[in-house]
Amino acid sequence: MNVKEYINSGIIESYVLGMATEAERQEFEQICASHPEVAEARDSFERSLETALMQEAPAPPAFVKEKLLQQIAPPVVEDDGVAGMTEAPVRRLNPWKWVAAASLLLLAGAAYWAYSTNEKYQDLAARQATMEKQLQQSTAALQLLQQDADILRHPMKTVALKGTEMAPQAQTTVFWDTTGTKDVYMLINNLPQPTSDQQYQLWALLDGKPIDLGVFDFDVKEKRLLVKMKNVQKAQAFAITLERRGRPNPEVPEGKAYVVGKL
Amino acid sequence: MGTTQTYDERELVAALRRKDEQAFSYLYDHYAGALYNVVKQVVVDTDVSSDVLQEIFVNIWRKIEQYDESKGRLFTWMLNIARNAAIDKTRSKGFQQSSRVLPLLDGETVYTSERPGMDDYGLKKVLGKLKDEQRLLIDLSYFQGYTHEQIAKALDIPLGTVKTRIRSALTQLRSLLQ
Repeated sequence: MNVKEYINSGIIESYVLGMATEAERQEFEQICASHPEVAEARDSFERSLETALMQEAPAPPAFVKEKLLQQIAPPVVEDDGVAGMTEAPVRRLNPWKWVAAASLLLLAGAAYWAYSTNEKYQDLAARQATMEKQLQQSTAALQLLQQDADILRHPMKTVALKGTEMAPQAQTTVFWDTTGTKDVYMLINNLPQPTSDQQYQLWALLDGKPIDLGVFDFDVKEKRLLVKMKNVQKAQAFAITLERRGRPNPEVPEGKAYVVGKL
Repeated sequence: MGTTQTYDERELVAALRRKDEQAFSYLYDHYAGALYNVVKQVVVDTDVSSDVLQEIFVNIWRKIEQYDESKGRLFTWMLNIARNAAIDKTRSKGFQQSSRVLPLLDGETVYTSERPGMDDYGLKKVLGKLKDEQRLLIDLSYFQGYTHEQIAKALDIPLGTVKTRIRSALTQLRSLLQ
């Protein structure tokens, strides 16, 4: 682009005087940003225009400024002159009073509408918050179930632990990853509720010896479908005993077996 | 009041953005005359011009946030607000009935760029030095806000010629101002 030609093309004057088209304006602003000499020429024209227009300019009428300053001033709160409103009501109202009365009615209606709308809004907002919370809880629960489903998809050995004479109806299923991680998961189908000073404990049995796979509280089944226990390398059977809570030697079973299952 | 504070342009803009009424008062005292002059060249009628001037300064007060220093001087920005407000006024219904009928679109009316009751100052004085034809084009396009297309049609000149002549009138204007 020939900058000098551009400067002398009349575009500067068109732009400054607001006579340029939108496309010309955009182009000019870009060129000004990239070519300081164009911006300088613009500034110089602006200054000479300003000087010419400021010369001997006649003052506008003084009332304009007064009105203007009133107009831009922050609104003053007026006191409501209700004096004289207590006269006897049996009079013909002039039309303006009807208008005022109608306006008051309208205002009252609008205020009521705003109030009831606000009530409804609050109500809806509260319900929405509750639903949002419920949704969050459901989503979290669903995520846990999905994790459990993912675990169950792995090929694992399934051992059904049947109730002993202590609780013939009791049943628990153990899933044991025998090929990979040796992880042990437990699905509590049915176990009797113990007293609060008692805890269940899962054992693996190998050559008649018990191996501790961890204690668990009865309510663990409320939280999770699959309960992960300690993993075990080798086992011939699994059993769950009911033990005293916090007994000194948890590696050795004291209590009776409630469910047992052989591989 | 009483204290006469002066501002440079940057301070003035900053103060206006803070909604400083004293700065606004200064702005008015400083620029109202020049803008009023431009409005009068468009609107002519003194009462209407006063109303428009008031509108303009209210707009400046409210829209000062939109002023962008990188695009030009404060005066230029205000001048454009003034011109647009004045032209808008001449386009309003009430105005066209009460005031001068725009001669351009009457077709037959011979146009003269002379306006009654105007003294020579400011831009008018500069415009007076332009050739008649150029003055006419500036008057129609700048002060009356006609598009190039409307001017071309009314004066029966090709659009390209209108554009070229206006551009040359504008460059002429710049050299006259310097």
